[in-house]
Amino acid sequence: MLLPEYNFHKPKTLDECLQVLSKIGDQGQLIAGGTDVVFNMRLRLFQPEHLVSIRSLEELQTIEELPDGALRIGAGCRLEDLSHHQVIQQKYPALKESIDAVASTHIRNLGTLGGNICLQTRCWFTNNSEEWRKGREGCFKTDCEHCHVIQTAHRCHAINNSDTPVALIALDATLTLAKAGETREVPIADFYRCDGEDFCILEPDEMVTAITLPAIQKSSVFLKFTPRRGMDFSLGAIAASANFFNGKVENVRLVLGSISSAPIDLVGPAKILEAEGLDDQAIEKILPLIRGEMGELTNLYGRAGYKKQIARSLVERAIIKLRELQNG
Amino acid sequence: MAKHIMSLTVNGDKSEFAVDDTDTLLDVIRNQLSLTGTKRGCTTGSCGVCTVNNDRGEAMLSCLTLAREWDGESVTTIEGLEADGQLDAIQAAFVEFGAVQCGFCTPGVIMSAKALLNRYPQPTEEQINEGMAGVLCRCTGHIKVKDAIRNDFRLRHDLANQSKNKSDNDAQEFKPEPGFSYTGKK
Repeated sequence: MLLPEYNFHKPKTLDECLQVLSKIGDQGQLIAGGTDVVFNMRLRLFQPEHLVSIRSLEELQTIEELPDGALRIGAGCRLEDLSHHQVIQQKYPALKESIDAVASTHIRNLGTLGGNICLQTRCWFTNNSEEWRKGREGCFKTDCEHCHVIQTAHRCHAINNSDTPVALIALDATLTLAKAGETREVPIADFYRCDGEDFCILEPDEMVTAITLPAIQKSSVFLKFTPRRGMDFSLGAIAASANFFNGKVENVRLVLGSISSAPIDLVGPAKILEAEGLDDQAIEKILPLIRGEMGELTNLYGRAGYKKQIARSLVERAIIKLRELQNG
Repeated sequence: MAKHIMSLTVNGDKSEFAVDDTDTLLDVIRNQLSLTGTKRGCTTGSCGVCTVNNDRGEAMLSCLTLAREWDGESVTTIEGLEADGQLDAIQAAFVEFGAVQCGFCTPGVIMSAKALLNRYPQPTEEQINEGMAGVLCRCTGHIKVKDAIRNDFRLRHDLANQSKNKSDNDAQEFKPEPGFSYTGKK
């Protein structure tokens, strides 16, 4: 499959890059590692007029510990480098686990953390070649107001299939978004929209420049369920985090990924765990509540009923793993 | 569309050529440099047969990399492993263990194995599985590949000894005979 034609830009500095972005607006597409962008261009899901490479922006490739103990990771840091970073391994184990769960070493050697956060949503209808898609009319993601997966749907149901955001939400990370002359900080939990077509709040001329992990250290776990063990997109992923203080459980966060068009923050079940601890009775109590928290399910990559079961099992396993951490 | 001049160091040789914006690293390596050892497989990042190593000796997929993004950098392909007519230890290990079936994936598999061994000279079973997960053999010949990787360290040792003995004896150039096995057996 050939690539569509585009104009290639390779800015040298971040300022220059933001200028280019503000000039080309929504006709532009950023490319860092390229593992998702080039793939989507081959499928003609992306047909940008301008392609802006941020591979040579050194400002985006630094990892620094801030004075207050927080960790600021440039969006252009490669996943494999982050996976071997000592501070991440020690303080944010769920993030390391989630990075290792992303594809293969080959792809992690190219792919960046910012790229994984902005990973395009996926769908078993749309993620095929243009020729294949021609067999039917388009969908929300291409050119029609129609969904081939759920016929009655009013929005695109493509799945947010990336792994690191699940862990980053559980770890209360913040994103720095920049556009020409303006930057803003957004908690990553507010970054995603539950819409497969327009899945994040990024404006056309805006980009993710950094990810900040808070100084407060939490115990955290990450689990991913895939059809193939070696390398695959997940059918379900979960990250759980908590602080243990004098036998009490605080700041619990349970996040489900790859189930819906956005990661799902299980707020209700987390509250129950805070009140009752991580024992078996609490698990029994929250498992029936999970379906209610998940909202509308799709049949993408596995039937809705199957996804329901995966979600239950993942939550249960994550809490048991968290309990093992609590008991040392 | 206008062509652009870019430079790339492949296997230690720096060259300059004109590329399109849409050319990938794989297009440049195969079409411009005629190094056809690196294969074109799925071009979507699933199969791994287009694997080349970057300047840090890490495996990467050349089909998903735009050539112009890599302007001025250097890569190693399967052709760059052999030195002075002598196979690299990992290639010798593949020969000895017969870790080749139809051979189409072999360049990708060897470059992945090489990258794995660059990071972990004596990899554990888990590290082998993890490092080789990104490359597929449709003949399903993964077992012998793993055998070859496990024995790379020993062969590398043998090869080092051989070349040491060779330089001790005389300066004669070492040429492997047909059917020569790098463990010293015939």
